[in-house]
This record gives sequence, C-alpha cells and structure tokens, in this order.
Amino acid sequence: MDWTDLIAQCLVTGVANGLIIALIALGYTMVYGIVELINFAHGDVLMLGGFLVLTLISACGGEQASPWVVLPIALVAVPAFCAGLNWSIDRLAYRPLRHAPKLTALVSAIGVSFILLNLGLFWGGLDLAVFDDGRSASAKKSVPDLLPFSNLLGDDASVLITLKDVLVAAVTLPMLAALTWLVQRTSLGRAMRAVAQDPVAARLMGIDTDAVIGRTFLIGGALAGVASVVYALYNGAIDFQLGYRAGMDAFTAAVLGGIGSLPGAVVGGLLIGLVRAAMETLVPNGSQWSGTVVFAVLIVVLVFRPTGLLGSPLREKV
Amino acid sequence: MTRPSRAQVAWGVALAVVVALPLLDQALPARAALTERVAPILLFAILGLGLTVVSGFTGLLNLGAAAFMALGAYAFSILTCPIYPFQVGFWPGLVAATVVGAGAGALVGLPAMRLRGDYLAIVTLGLGEIVQDVLKNLDVITKGTQGINPVAAPSFGPLILPAAGRHYLLLALVLAAVWVCVALRRSSIGRAWEAVREDELAARCMGVATARAKLGAFALGAALCGLGGGLYASLSNSSLDPGTYDFGRSVIILSIVIVGGLGSIGGALLGAVIMVGFDTILIDELAKATSGETGSERVWAQPGNWKFLVYGLALVLMMRFRPDGLLPAHAPGAAR
Amino acid sequence: MSLLSVEGVTLRFGGLTAVEAVSFTVEAGSITAVIGPNGAGKTSLFNVVTGLYPPSAGQVRLDGRGLIAQADLASWLRWAVVGVATGLGCTVAVNLPDWWDAAINAFAGREPFPWGEAAAALGARLAPTAWNLVPLIAGFAVGLAGAWQAWQRSRCSSERCFRAGIARTFQNIRLFRGMTCSDNLMIALAGAGRLRGAGPLGALLRTPRFRRVEASARAEAGRLLTLVGLAAVADGAAGSLPYGHQRRLEIARALAGCPRLLLLDEPAAGMNESESAALMQLIRRIRDEGTTVLLIEHDMSVVMGISDRVVVLEYGRKIAEGTPAEVRRDPRVIAAYLGDTPAEPA
Repeated sequence: MDWTDLIAQCLVTGVANGLIIALIALGYTMVYGIVELINFAHGDVLMLGGFLVLTLISACGGEQASPWVVLPIALVAVPAFCAGLNWSIDRLAYRPLRHAPKLTALVSAIGVSFILLNLGLFWGGLDLAVFDDGRSASAKKSVPDLLPFSNLLGDDASVLITLKDVLVAAVTLPMLAALTWLVQRTSLGRAMRAVAQDPVAARLMGIDTDAVIGRTFLIGGALAGVASVVYALYNGAIDFQLGYRAGMDAFTAAVLGGIGSLPGAVVGGLLIGLVRAAMETLVPNGSQWSGTVVFAVLIVVLVFRPTGLLGSPLREKV
Repeated sequence: MTRPSRAQVAWGVALAVVVALPLLDQALPARAALTERVAPILLFAILGLGLTVVSGFTGLLNLGAAAFMALGAYAFSILTCPIYPFQVGFWPGLVAATVVGAGAGALVGLPAMRLRGDYLAIVTLGLGEIVQDVLKNLDVITKGTQGINPVAAPSFGPLILPAAGRHYLLLALVLAAVWVCVALRRSSIGRAWEAVREDELAARCMGVATARAKLGAFALGAALCGLGGGLYASLSNSSLDPGTYDFGRSVIILSIVIVGGLGSIGGALLGAVIMVGFDTILIDELAKATSGETGSERVWAQPGNWKFLVYGLALVLMMRFRPDGLLPAHAPGAAR
Repeated sequence: MSLLSVEGVTLRFGGLTAVEAVSFTVEAGSITAVIGPNGAGKTSLFNVVTGLYPPSAGQVRLDGRGLIAQADLASWLRWAVVGVATGLGCTVAVNLPDWWDAAINAFAGREPFPWGEAAAALGARLAPTAWNLVPLIAGFAVGLAGAWQAWQRSRCSSERCFRAGIARTFQNIRLFRGMTCSDNLMIALAGAGRLRGAGPLGALLRTPRFRRVEASARAEAGRLLTLVGLAAVADGAAGSLPYGHQRRLEIARALAGCPRLLLLDEPAAGMNESESAALMQLIRRIRDEGTTVLLIEHDMSVVMGISDRVVVLEYGRKIAEGTPAEVRRDPRVIAAYLGDTPAEPA
C-alpha cells in the first residue's frame, strides 16, 4: 500500500470513527451546555447500550441473525433504553444536586459511572453464548459480523470501504440532521437554548427547567444509544471498560470543538477520529501512543483555549 | 468546650489500638494476620492525606492521584532493584520517591494555575492516563507490564524489618504525614490554601501569591502520594504493572477523602479505615465465607466483583446526603 | 507629586468599552469619591487600579511609578533559563529509552557496574544529531515562549498592587466566609509581609521565631478588629456575621496591609442613616491615620459629607471633576443623573 492509499484508508476509518465519537460527544456537550456538568456516566450508558445490542443479537439468533431484523429492533430498543437510563440518572443522582457546588455533582457523576461499570461487568457474566456462557465476564466480547464483509470498491481496490462504513454514515448523518432540526426549530429546542443561557430567566418566563433538563438527558441518552448500536457493529467488540475509553475520546472531542456547541462537537469528533486513525495507520508504534495523544490534545485545549475551536470566551464578573 | 477533648480521647484510643496491634496479633490465631491487613489501611491513609492537601485544603480536585503514586513506586523500584546499578537502599529510595512525587506535582501544578474546578479535574485525569501510558510504553526502563522486581524491603541499614517492624514504620510515617498537614494548615501557607479555595480572586487582591500556593499544594500532595507509592512498591516487593495505578485507583483514593470529609485530616484517616478496610478485610472475609458454595462461578457471586459498585454507591450517596463527609472539617480553624 | 495618577486609562472587553480615556489624580491624605450612574465604569476603573485587568490604553501610576511590570535583563535571563530547561527536558524525554539502553541495559549484570564505560557510552550519544538538536531547539523555543506568555499574563497583578500599598473592598462582599474573622485578617497581613519568618519550615518545627511572628500578627489582627468594633467575634466564622459587620470586616481586612491607598467599592450599600454616619466617621479616622481613600458610592450624603474631591463618570468617560459643591452644580452631572434625554433602558 502506498502513501495515498494509506491516507485514503485513514480518512475512511477516521471519518467513520469520528462520526461515532461525534454522536457521543453531542450527548456530553448538550448536558454540559445546560447544567454545566460533565456527565461522567455518559460513556458507561453507551457501554450498557452495547451490551444490550449484543443481547438482542443473541435473542435474534446470534451468529445467524439477519441484519435486517436486528438493526431496526436495535435502533429502536437501544436508544429507548439508554434514554431512559440517562434520564433516571439525572432524576436520581443529579437533580438533587442542582444547587450544590459543581464539584459535588462531578464526584457524584464519577460514582454513577462506577456503578454502571460494575453493572456492565455483571451483564457480561450472563449465561449466553454471545457472552462466552458467562465464563469471563471482564473479557472483551466479540460482536458477530452481521454485515457482509466485502469491499464496496471491488476486491482489488487498495482502499477498503465496507457496508459497515456506509452504515455509520447512514445512521449518524440523519441523526445529526434531526438533532439540528430539534434544537433550531422546535419549542423544546428553544427552551433548551434558553435554559442553557440563563436558567433563572428561563424559569421566570415559565419554562419548567427541570423538565427541559430531563428531556435533554433523554435526548443525550438516545444519541448514546444510537452510537452504541453503530459502535458495536462497526468495531466488532465490546467490554465493560469501553465506556471510559470512548467517553474520554468523546469528551475530548466536545471540549476541542467548544463545550456547549453542537457543531463544535461534530467538528471535534471528526478531528479526534482522524487523529486516532492517523496514529494507528500512519505513525510507527502509533497505536501505543494514540491514547496519550488524545489526552495531550485535551490538556492543551483546556489550558490554552478552554472554550475550544468554536466556543466563545467567558469572563468572571468582579 | 467538651467536644474537642472527646474527639481527642477517641483518637487517643484509636492510636493505642493501632500501636498494640502486633501484640494483639500474637494472641489471635495465625489466619487473623491483623498486622498485614492493617498495612494497606495505613498506606492509603498517607495517600488520602496527600489528596487532602490538594483537594481538601486548596479545593483543587485531583483525579490523577494514582499517577503520583505510580511515579513514586517506579522511582523507588528503579533505584533499588538489583537489575539496575543504582541500588541505593530503602531509605534513600523512599526519599527519592517523595522528591520525584513533589517534582511531578509541581509540573502538574503549572497548567493547574489557570484552570477552573471541573476543567482542572479533567486535566489531572488526563495526566494520570498519560503517566500510565508512558510507564507502560517505556518498557526499556520500566519493563512494561511486568513491573520491576525485586525491590528493597523496609529496613534499617542491613536489618530487614519483620511484620511488626513494618507496622510501626508505617504508623510512624502516617503520624509524620498527619503532623505535616496539621502544622502547615495552622500557618500562613495553610491559610493561603484555604483562601484560594474560598475565593481565589479576593485572595490575589489581598496579596496572596496564589500561583505559588497552588504549586506548593500540588507538590506537597504529590510528595505524599509518591511516598505512599514507594512504600507500596516496597511492601509488594515490586513496582507492579502500571495498570494498577489507573483511574480506578485514583477514585479509590478520592472516595477515601470524600467519605471521610474533604479537607478534614481525621476524615482522611477514617475514610482510609472504612474504604480500604472494606476492600481488604471485609471482601476477603466474605470471599472466604462464600467460596464454599459450589457451582456458583457467576461473576456476581464473588464479593470482589462488587467493588466498583460499592465505591460508586459510596460516592453518590455521600454527595447526596453527607457532602461534608463523616468527619467534616469543622468550621474556623479547628484541627480535627 | 500625587499619590495616584490615572492617565488616559481605557479598558475594552471585546466589543465593549468599559472605561474610556479617564484621567485624574488623587492627592495623598485626601478622600476622593468616584460617582456616576450604573454602568458608568466605576468598578472597572477600580479593577484597573488594583491590578486585576491591564488597561487597554493609558496607565496608572502610584507615587510616579507604573503598576505594570516591565521586562528587564533579569526577566530575559529567567525566560532563557526556562527555555533551556524545557529544551533539555524534551531532549531527554525523546531520547531516554535509547540512552538508557546504551548506558545501563547494555552493561546490566556486570559486577561492579562499569560507570566509566556507561558514561562513555552515554557521552557518545550526546553528539549533535537530529534526534538531539530538534527537541532541544523546539523545547527551548516552547519554553521561552511559554515563560514570556506567563509573564505577559501576570505583568499586571493584584498581588503586586497590594504589596505596593493598594488595597480594596468589593461591591459584592468577598470575604473568606469559612474562615474566622481573625484568619481573614491574617491572610492580608501575610500578603503585606507581616509574617516573614513564619514560613513552612518554621511551621513544621514550631520554632520560637515562628511562634513569635504568628503571635504578633494575631495581636495586630486583634487591634484592627477592635478598630472596626468586631473584637468580640474574632474567632467566629466570617460568613455568619450580619451584613453590616461583614462590610466592616472587609474594610479591616483591606487595612491589614497598612495600605497607602484604600479603595472602597460602595461601602455604604444597604446601610441606614446611622450606619452611614458611623461609616463616615470610620473613613475619616482611616484618613487621619495616614491612608488615602478612594471610594465609589451612590449615597450622596456620604459622598458630599466626607469627600475632598469628586470624579464623575458616565458611559466610561469622565464628565466632571472638582469639589463636592462644584460637582453638585455641574449641569452635565445633573443631566447624567436626572437625564434631560429619555432614560436609557435598565
């Protein structure tokens, strides 16, 4: 493979992964924009969604399952599950802390993340064939390859684009469009933007801020659910710790793009996806260091330009 | 006021029990092994005090404390393991671990100066992950996931300490750490830390060198964590795999200070007893009690696999119902 | 020479100009008031004088000396040192596995360890190759730039202004609420250098000198609390005081550093007539003890009652200056407050 092919492949993988990361990042950025809380548990909601996907595949026949059956079911059930989970987390853990100092809520979010992590560990221990009959709960579980693995560009092409890549684009792009429509055109979207800008004023205007916040968590959770379906099918493997890794990638993307900014989350997601792909395909020994690079990006952005690429600066009033 | 003296009596009794522990151990059957089980509690008390200085006194939430522990452990191991020519011995190794920790803390403190609460927390988390990755990847020096072993055991000169000796060594170091925290808190540096936590802008307008105060807090907190790491390596006779110093470990240290009471020295000690005692003693006993059941190899049947759930629940419940911790740092000026 | 000289100070935040080309002087031993409608830029002006924000244009001088640090040879040397350290650090970081392998792992197991040969092997690696030079130069550049940037951001610093003798109170009280009243003052005393000799080492060893310095500072804190009438609550939490007492504590804290210039931001806010009268007495006493006072105030009886001079701001510009009597009669001031044009939206 020569350089142009490597770069082309890198672009394909990078954009596909980037879109998935963008979906997850949107969940982080929406919640942060409205309650100024880093929902640490968001990545673990994704992880549990992935486990649900695998369980559904198992219920639909495991290795023999047809993608035309699994996909529609998964794309309805998993986002619903994740949405409900995210909403409950807000209701039970974060809402009582709405007026507490920020760090209290952050610590609580870490706690929730750990609880979900443990639940994922237990889920992986269920007595199902997809979970290795519960023998090694903590190990990675492979997701059966439901989509035909053939290069859409022809078997001789040096760049590999499969149905999986198409699936990612086919699912994430409409979701992004739907989200944009929701935020810009609906009254819920208007209410969300109002609460994000000034919660007190919003409440004075008659907006039920708790309900709006709850619905934001619902939407964020649904996005994570969709992302988990795509993630599981695209990457072919899940484990109970994927929430932490994917979550840090997505949070970095959100911060890079400008936390609170929806287009920023998408831009950030694509950038992080491309950086990861570049590290893994173009740089020798790159995969060892790709995690470090992502974290280094996060630190550099937070120290030098905390508002990210598309955000706007804030000032403390004296 | 009778409250302080009642608290002092309670601490006195606790201290007496800890001092008498090896003697108690002699009296109990061998499987009790009290001294060995209490060692992690004392070790994590030191780590908890380190985090108390940074996150408790100064209010800078540090989610990467395990990284300083790792650096201390590796510094100690590299300097005392026979595979390398340094072999400086136990005490110089410990000093080195502490100094390396302090240096790393100062380096981390540099970006910390301009960052706000939750952003700082994330940066410390990122730095923790980077340290872990670096230790794993620089396997030429750190032997990667194998870890470096064997390392120097706790000793005084040529005399290697037995279990009871180690116990008293740990106890002495815990008391030294407590003294450092108490003494500094009741001085101008401690007041500067508290001012930074209360209102950094006003502190600057009152002449507090806030940047230096934050750097100092990070350096001292990291030094204590480095000391804990060096001790950890020595007691485990290995630097251990870098993966043991991961975010989960940082959260355990965090839960110690949260449960005990953020900013409270006594709280850090109590938190160590509860959280680490739960981990090493309770889980151990439960595991032994339930291992008799046959056929249950299910992951949820082993008590050890409930750890994350319990730590997570502890954090959520404490934040909801007792955000000041079990032994809150009393208002104005009180020491314990 | 005047104590404080504000010369053409302008402060801009992005598109908003908070203060525009304001100039005035404050003579030592006087009480000067800055007044103006809300949003006139008074607190922003205070923020510039106390070093919180550098002015976008113009400058502020205390006793003829500017408040903003200037770079000199020593600063350049410091930045160069940081640059060199960063460069060396980067070079070591990039090459460490390689050097370790050559110097240590290659001779592993040899007893006694051949330090000389290891040093020679290491020395051979220190040649000016690309691997060594690139991180060295890049690191030097980054370190130098970083140190310069950090200095730029801290050129104008409120700590330095405090130590130079400028202290302030805030519009919305900013006490250290969880600390005792006495501790609040100890912070300012430390900032003013009254606790030299009571550093960390002394604290750890509880030396006699440490005890002496701390005790004398505590006594001074007590004296200040007595001055403002709060001696009884010295060990109470600052946050639990009633509002009026908190304002007085804030003033005591600002006085703790024996400032040459004291800036009070709306000290009479929320006070009734008798409280305002007591406050005016306190301010006069502060002036009599040698501290110059500059205050922002909306309460005209206070302003007219104690000020020697009054400066009037509107929309960030100075529109009048003079004695209280002169300012009261100035038509521009009257227009600014009562408005002969339709009032601007709140």
